[in-house]
Amino acid sequence: MNRTVDDIAPMAPPASFPMEGHEAVPVVGEGDRSSGARSGGAALHLDAPLAPETPCVHCGLPVGPRPVLGAAEGDSLPLAFCCTGCRVVYEALGAAGFGETYYRLRGVAASTRALSSLGGRPAESDALQLAELDTEAFLGQHTTEVGESLRRTQLFLDGVHCAACVWLVERLPFEIDGVAEAVLDLPRARLTLTFDPEEVQLSEVGRWLARFGYAARPMRVQTAGRRTEAERTLLVRLGVAWALAGNVMLLAFAFYAGLDADADATMATFARWVSLALAVPAVAYGGAPFFRRAWASVRLAWRARDPRRLHIDTPIALGIGVGTLHSAWATVTGQGEVWFDSITVLIAALLTARWLQLRSRRLAGDASERLLSLLPSMVRRVSATGETVVARLDELARGETVEVPAGEVVPVDGAVTRGTSQLNNAVLTGESRPVPVVPGDAVEAGATNLRAPLHVRVEATGTATRVGRLLKWVRDEEGRKARVVLLADRLSGYFALSVLSLAALTAVAWSLLAAPSVAAQHVVALLVITCPCAIGMATPLAMAVAAGRAARRGIFLKSDAATQRLTEADTVVLDKTGTLTEGRMTLVETVPADGVDADAALDLAAVLEADVVHPIATALVAARGCPVQSAATFEAEAGQGVRGLVDGHAVVVGKPSWVWAQSARAPAPLTAAIERFAQAGHTPVAVALDGQPAAVCAIGDRLRDDAPAVLRALEAAGLTIHLCSGDHPAAVAAVARTLGIPAERAHGGVAPEAKRAALEALQAEGRVVVMVGDGVNDAAALRAADVGVAVGGGSTASLVAADVFLTRPGLAPLAEAFAGTARTLGVVRRNLGISLVYNVGGAAAAMLGLVTPLVAAVAMPVSSLLVVASSILQRSFPSDPGNGGAGEPAHAASSTSRLAAS
Amino acid sequence: MAVLYVLIPLALLLAGAGVLAFRWAVRSGQFDDVETPALRMLMDNEDMLIDGERMLINDERIRPGNDLASRRPS
Repeated sequence: MNRTVDDIAPMAPPASFPMEGHEAVPVVGEGDRSSGARSGGAALHLDAPLAPETPCVHCGLPVGPRPVLGAAEGDSLPLAFCCTGCRVVYEALGAAGFGETYYRLRGVAASTRALSSLGGRPAESDALQLAELDTEAFLGQHTTEVGESLRRTQLFLDGVHCAACVWLVERLPFEIDGVAEAVLDLPRARLTLTFDPEEVQLSEVGRWLARFGYAARPMRVQTAGRRTEAERTLLVRLGVAWALAGNVMLLAFAFYAGLDADADATMATFARWVSLALAVPAVAYGGAPFFRRAWASVRLAWRARDPRRLHIDTPIALGIGVGTLHSAWATVTGQGEVWFDSITVLIAALLTARWLQLRSRRLAGDASERLLSLLPSMVRRVSATGETVVARLDELARGETVEVPAGEVVPVDGAVTRGTSQLNNAVLTGESRPVPVVPGDAVEAGATNLRAPLHVRVEATGTATRVGRLLKWVRDEEGRKARVVLLADRLSGYFALSVLSLAALTAVAWSLLAAPSVAAQHVVALLVITCPCAIGMATPLAMAVAAGRAARRGIFLKSDAATQRLTEADTVVLDKTGTLTEGRMTLVETVPADGVDADAALDLAAVLEADVVHPIATALVAARGCPVQSAATFEAEAGQGVRGLVDGHAVVVGKPSWVWAQSARAPAPLTAAIERFAQAGHTPVAVALDGQPAAVCAIGDRLRDDAPAVLRALEAAGLTIHLCSGDHPAAVAAVARTLGIPAERAHGGVAPEAKRAALEALQAEGRVVVMVGDGVNDAAALRAADVGVAVGGGSTASLVAADVFLTRPGLAPLAEAFAGTARTLGVVRRNLGISLVYNVGGAAAAMLGLVTPLVAAVAMPVSSLLVVASSILQRSFPSDPGNGGAGEPAHAASSTSRLAAS
Repeated sequence: MAVLYVLIPLALLLAGAGVLAFRWAVRSGQFDDVETPALRMLMDNEDMLIDGERMLINDERIRPGNDLASRRPS
C-alpha cells in the first residue's frame, strides 16, 4: 500500500535521532524560552548562552546569536536550529520516519557543486508557484506524454544539496499515489517527474516536497532542453569519431609493421580500402562541424577582405580536406601514401576538446535559467465582488486589483489602493532599508512585501514593468555585445597564411628539384602535420578545466571570452549595497559611556525593541539575540524611539536628541561618536538607563569583512576602482573614505540607467571595464560592461545579465576570479607556445621531405598530449588557495580517463 | 592470413554494435548527469517490500523483537 500525503501524519513522535556529528547540543536553561519569558516578566537568564558557532542540527550551519530551540524530550536537552525552517523540516522528517536514514546519508557525501546556494537550509516555497503547476497551460506547455496516461515534466528544485536529498526526493513514488518515477539531477537541481495527471496534482507533489524544505519551481525556459540536446549530439559524434579512428589506427599499424604491396598485395589493397571506408564517415560526419565553421570564417574573411579574420578551424579543415582527398586518390590509384589514421585521430581529439568545453559551461547556463523561474507568473486577482482568485499574470488587465500578502513578491507595477506595509526594494534599487507604503504610493514588480497584505491597482505587467523592461533589454542586447577575439583566433589568421605560403614554397621548390608527384606528396605531408590540432585544443581545454575548477570554488564563468576579458580589464566599477556591504541593517559599532557595560545596556534596549516593527529595532534585536525578558511598561513615540521599564530600569532608546532630552547631558565621547557615525553614513541610536546616558550605537549596512583586503588586492593588481551606487551620495562617500577610494571615483545617487551611461563613458576612454554588482538595478550595467560580475550568493535576476557570477558570499571570490583567470590565460599561452614549437618543427621537417605517415602518426598525438597535460596540470583555481592544486587530482583524473576511454 | 578477410569485417561489425549501444545510452540521457548516480548507490536497500508493503529499513515495525522482524528478508 502506498501512503498518500495525508497518511504520513505522526507515525512516531518528533524524536531526536542519534546522529554522528550532530549530537544534541547542551543548552543551559530549560523549557521554552519565549513563552517562559513573556509570562509575568520573571527574568530567566541563560547562564551560558549557546555559542553562535554551534552547528544547526538540520543544516549544520552555525546557529547564530539567536538560535531556534527544538522541543526537549524527557531529560535530553533541546536541539538548536539556525532557523524555524530547519526545525520544521527536522520535525517533519522525524514524523515521517525518514530522519535516521536522512541524516546518516547526508553525512556520507555532500555535493559542493550543486546549484543551490542555500547551503543545507530549507528553501521557501511559494504557494502561487505551486498553484501554477496545476494549470492547464502548464500541463500543456511543460509536460510531455509518456505511455498510456502518464506525463513527464521537469522542475527546478531549490534546496537540494546532498545524497540524503536525492534519497528523500526519489522516495516520491512510494509516498504519493500517481507518481510513477522521480529522478533528481543533483548538480543541476533538476527533478524529472513522471506522473498520472488523473491521479495526482503537481501541487500536491510540490507541497510534499515543501514539507521537507524543497521548493519546486516551474522551468519556464526551454533553452536547457536545447543545450542538453546539443551536448548529446556532440557526444554521439565524439563516440563515432573515436570508434572509427580506433579501427583506422589498427589497420595503419599493419602498414607501419611492414605490410605493403611487396609483402601481400591483396591484403595491402584490402586494408587501404577498409581504411578509406572508415575514414569517409569520420571526415564527413565527425569533421562536419569544422568544415561548417571554416566555410563561415572564409566567407567572413572574404567579405572583410582581411585574411586575419580566418578562424582556427580554417587550417584544420584545410589539413583534413587535403589529407583525405590525397589519401583517397592514393587508395584508388594504389600509388602514394595514406594519412587516414592521423586525420581520424585528429578529428576525434578535437571533438573531445569541444565536448569538454561545452560540458564545463552547463552549470553556469542552468543557473541563470533557474533565476527566471523565480519571477512570479501567477497573481491573486481581487474580483469586483472582493473575492481573491488565483490567476495567471498574463490574464491580468490594467486597472484590475491584485492582492499581495506579506512575504510575497509584488508581481506588477501599480499603485497601492488598500493596506499599509513596508516593502523591500533591494532587488530593484539596491536600497536595503525597507520603504513604508500607504494607499496611493506606487509599487514596482520585484519588490517584496514585508509586513501586511496590500491591494495594488495594476498599471503594467510582464515586460511592461520596469524589471521586465530591464530583463528584456538584457536579452535583446545579448547578440549586440562586442565579440571578443580569443587569443588563439588572433593567431589563426597569421597561422593559415603562413601555412599556405610555406605550402606554395614547398610545391615550387620540390617541382624544380624532383617530379611534380613528389612535390604533391610533400605538400600534403606539410598540410597534415601542421594541421593545428594542438592549437585548436589549447584554448578550449585550458578554459574548460579552469571553468570546472572555478565552479567548485563558487565562481561560474559563462564563457571563454569573459575569462579572457577579465584578465585584460583595467577598471573595476563596484556597486555598494549588497556588493561591498552586506545589504541589510546590522549593528556596526557600540560606544558605551564610562563605567557602563555596553552589552548589558544593549540587552535591556533589545527587550524594549523586541516588539517594534522597524529595521533599526530589528537590527538591534538581531545583534543581541532573542530577549528573555519582557518590558513591564512600554511606550513608543513615532519617529523618535521607545521607552519603558525593564528589569527595574527605566530604559530609553531612540534618536539621540530625543533620548538626551530625557536624560542627563551626554558626555563628550558619546556626542563625538554620534558625529562620527553620521559622517560614516550610519544611523546613530542612543540608549539611556535610569536617566543616565548609557551608550550610543551605529546601525547601518556594514561593509563586508573582506572588502578592504580584496580592494587592496585588486589595486595591487593594477586595477582602478570606482564606486557607483544608487544610495545617497553621502553614504557612498563615507564608504569610499573607509576603503580609501578617492572621492572623484565614488559616485552616489546613480539611477540604474545612469550606471550604464557611466560605464559607457569609461569605455569611451578606452578602458576595459568590469562591473561588479547585484540586483536588477545593476542588470543594464552588468551587460554594458566588458565583463559583468554578479555577486551576492546568486539569488537575484542580475545573474541573467552577468558574464561571471559568484555564489560564495563575500568578495573573496572576486579576487580569486581575477587571479585565477590570469593564471588560466597563462596556461593558454603556454599551450599555444607548445603548439607553435611543434608546428614550426613539423613544417620544417615536411619541407625537407622527412615526414612520412608514421612520423605524423607519432608526432601529432604527442603534441596534443603535451597540451592536454599542460591544461590538466594547471593550478588556476586551487581548491584550497593555500595548498596549491594538491586537492584537485579527481578532476584531472576524470578528464584524462574521459580522453583515454573514448 | 586469409582469415583476416573474415575477422576484420567481423571486428568492424562488433565496433558498429558498440557505437549503436553508445548512441542509445547517450540518447536515453545516461550521460546527462554522471554525479547523482554515484550517490544513488549509497541508498540501495533502504526500502524493502514486506507483505506487499514498502517500508524503510529503519521502520519501527521491522526492528528486532517486533513480529515483522522475523519475516525480514536476509
